[in-house]
Amino acid sequence: MKTYRTHLMLCAGTACVSNNSFKIKEALEKEIKKHGLQDEILVVMTGCNGFCAVGPIMVVKPDGIFYQNLTEEDIPYLVEEHFLKGRPVQKLMYFPPKEKEVIPKMMDIGFFAHQTLIALKNRGLIDPEKIDEYIARDGYKALAKALTSMTPEQVIREIKDSGLRGRGGAGFPTGLKWEFCRKSPGDEKYIICNADEGDPGAFMDRSIIESDPHLVLEGMIIGAYGIGANQGYVYIRNEYPLAMKRLEIAINQAREYGLFGENIFESGFNFDIMIRKGAGAFVCGEETALIASIEGKPPEPRQRPPFPAQSGVWGKPTNINNVETWATVPTIILRGYEWFSAIGTEKSKGTKVFSLVGKINNTGLVEVPMGITLREIIYDIGGGIPGGKKFKAVQTGGPSGGCIPADLIDLPVDYEQLTRVGSIMGSGGMIVMDEDTCVVDIARYFIKFTNDESCGKCTSCREGSEALLEILNKICNGEGEEGDLILLEELGKAIKDASLCGLGQTLPNPVLSTLKYFRDEYEAHIKDKKCPAGVCKALIQYSVDKEKCTGCLLCVKSCPQNAISGKKKEPQTIDQDKCIKCNMCYEVCKFNAILKG
Amino acid sequence: MEKIKKQRENIMNNKSDIMNQKKVGAAMVVGGGIGGMQAALDLAESGIKVYLVETKPCIGGVMSQLDKTFPTNDCAMCTMAPRLVEIGRHKDIEIITLADVEDIRGQPGNFTVTLKKGARYIDEEKCTGCGLCVDNCPVRNIIYIEPEKEEVKLSTENLEKTTEIIKEYKDKKVSVVSLLQDINAVYNYLPENILRYISQELDIPLSLIYRTATFYKAFSLKPRGRYLINVCVGTTCYVKGASMIISALGRELGVRTGETTEDMNFTLETVACLGCCGLAPVMMIGENIHGKLTQAKIPKIIGKYREHIKLNKEVIYAKNKD
Repeated sequence: MKTYRTHLMLCAGTACVSNNSFKIKEALEKEIKKHGLQDEILVVMTGCNGFCAVGPIMVVKPDGIFYQNLTEEDIPYLVEEHFLKGRPVQKLMYFPPKEKEVIPKMMDIGFFAHQTLIALKNRGLIDPEKIDEYIARDGYKALAKALTSMTPEQVIREIKDSGLRGRGGAGFPTGLKWEFCRKSPGDEKYIICNADEGDPGAFMDRSIIESDPHLVLEGMIIGAYGIGANQGYVYIRNEYPLAMKRLEIAINQAREYGLFGENIFESGFNFDIMIRKGAGAFVCGEETALIASIEGKPPEPRQRPPFPAQSGVWGKPTNINNVETWATVPTIILRGYEWFSAIGTEKSKGTKVFSLVGKINNTGLVEVPMGITLREIIYDIGGGIPGGKKFKAVQTGGPSGGCIPADLIDLPVDYEQLTRVGSIMGSGGMIVMDEDTCVVDIARYFIKFTNDESCGKCTSCREGSEALLEILNKICNGEGEEGDLILLEELGKAIKDASLCGLGQTLPNPVLSTLKYFRDEYEAHIKDKKCPAGVCKALIQYSVDKEKCTGCLLCVKSCPQNAISGKKKEPQTIDQDKCIKCNMCYEVCKFNAILKG
Repeated sequence: MEKIKKQRENIMNNKSDIMNQKKVGAAMVVGGGIGGMQAALDLAESGIKVYLVETKPCIGGVMSQLDKTFPTNDCAMCTMAPRLVEIGRHKDIEIITLADVEDIRGQPGNFTVTLKKGARYIDEEKCTGCGLCVDNCPVRNIIYIEPEKEEVKLSTENLEKTTEIIKEYKDKKVSVVSLLQDINAVYNYLPENILRYISQELDIPLSLIYRTATFYKAFSLKPRGRYLINVCVGTTCYVKGASMIISALGRELGVRTGETTEDMNFTLETVACLGCCGLAPVMMIGENIHGKLTQAKIPKIIGKYREHIKLNKEVIYAKNKD
């Protein structure tokens, strides 16, 4: 095999691709060739690096230098300076806010330094479209261990002892789930990888598949061996074309290498995988709905029991796990349950991937041990809130979760603690909100989402979400009444009690948790007819700060309604009758001269 | 309101009368569904004579037509049967079926109800309910002849395309979702005549196709523009102002969410999450992702696509001509 002096690990996750990382690759290769370095330097397109905020990203190996926000124009200079003359380019390195000096090495950046990688262990290190690179990183070694030296019972035992719990949301012990399915009578069994990542604000599943598809496949084969299944499905969202493509490539390569098909590793075990595409329905993430969708039926959840472990796809015992759960399995088998269960808290073992997004400096994907505090995630890894704004709340668990207020920032993050404060772990979305976010509006947003996505089977969910939305709309429009909050609470509890599947049972959570921690903000909307965060259009007015306005006319030009007028170099005025509150002037103003309130 | 007030007063005035009057130890339950049956039983058990009135020829109501009941999936007949038997046997319950309430007079404690009983044309005393007459009734046994279905025909071009798509699905367990995805890939929406055609060719009920097509967001029954604009309204994009991006796009294109521009170039839609939260707010035009949007950027981006459309006149997606 050919060896190179330096590897350039260029990120090719969705975010970086849309920032032109493929054009940068071309430019890099062109420049490298120009300087005659093509035998010494290799450009590798890796999966998502995780630090999406500063993409496109390139890591120089082996020195570990981290370059960010690359553009095509930077490349000639970069190649000449760093790879020819040996002088790393400072201006392209990570510059932490509030600091004076750049951080050249990746592992010194707070975002990476505080993470523990299991499910994301190969991110940014391998080309996801090449199976050999995965194998070189101990890939399929766990599978070989399981198939050649362990019985299916031992595999299940190992997972059970590790304390691994489902990473899709509810946190059911994975080993126990496998055991149920194994013990269900029947020769024909199925396993499913749930890659229908519907939670808005969560993208770890997409990222895992894009950066390391073989890890998921390996986990699935091990699981299938333990359970005794011979056919697997990956149910993947329609909105993830890149992940789908990489998964297809990975499956084909693995099949060529004899990792799928009959008699894998001469163990007599047969297994194969098929991909099923979703078509944009959030409820398909619910396991019984997902099964119906795989069968081609309209995806409506059904009553359990029978559980999928007894009667799933085509009425056969079926085991469903989330992408991240499958991706954790190989490492547990390889390193043993003791190693895994030493990480985390008493009841929540191992690590969890969170997508740290919203009003935060270091947006991206982070994998941290269970039990880490929110403060560490938001400040040490996330780098705090941008623009010097105040941290207000963090929303976890997507539409089923809740808002955790700023005074609970030292809360250790695990399944139990999050449930205790009225939220859930969910698939791991972590949306940070600052003082400019209105919690009533956020609650309304989630209810609108679940109202759209409710399949309509249960009256409580279908009509209940509609009624919740109506009340919240009323409050946001300044028409809220005294008894509305009590009504919201009562209705929320009724919906929880009377719905069939997880969607309905958890949909009032965003309302109930914000009511619990931010009741004063609701009351401000109802009693004072004010939106403290300046979000709800009906309750705010735009005006010009006469002192700050320089009369640059930028807002005048951008206003779609021609509602702003005034002379050049003099303070402007806004015609309230014409203003549609589109926020355009606020966005374009460079002097913070537009006031909301 | 006035009326109710007056009534109330009247009742209060008559209260003493009512108290003095002798109450009748009987009750009437109107409606013989599961609720009425249970009410009748409860009343009868507490020692009151019950008249159970039902407009249909027999009691049982809707529940007797169900297999399972929502949401517990309990067997409907298991809930009903014991009650039916009990009511039939109870000495204090008198069932009056095929009857409508005509008039109610009197006050609480002492009502007089007039019922209109429909004719059964049989001697109820002698009938054993053997059901033989039902089986042999010539009026009931009219044979239903299904109207002949009109055959769906497609133009040659569409026929070729559709045959190509359904080739794989013939004689197999069909997954309607993947079938519709394939049609969508060709036409960019689901044309009605094509759906009718596949329903006929593959023998899938049109209702199932319609149900699936309207359930998933990826499908549309209306023609969509050349470029599908999907604005991400995931939580991150939302807190970073996705709704303003949508209104900016709406102003630029002159359409609302879910609509297509008149020149058939753009369709504006929203998507739950594109998973590019690092670039929020984000939208996807065709397969291109545009991130870190501001309202000011929108006209520029759309402008680029418009230029592109001017340069390449050929239509990317085949339009359905039928």
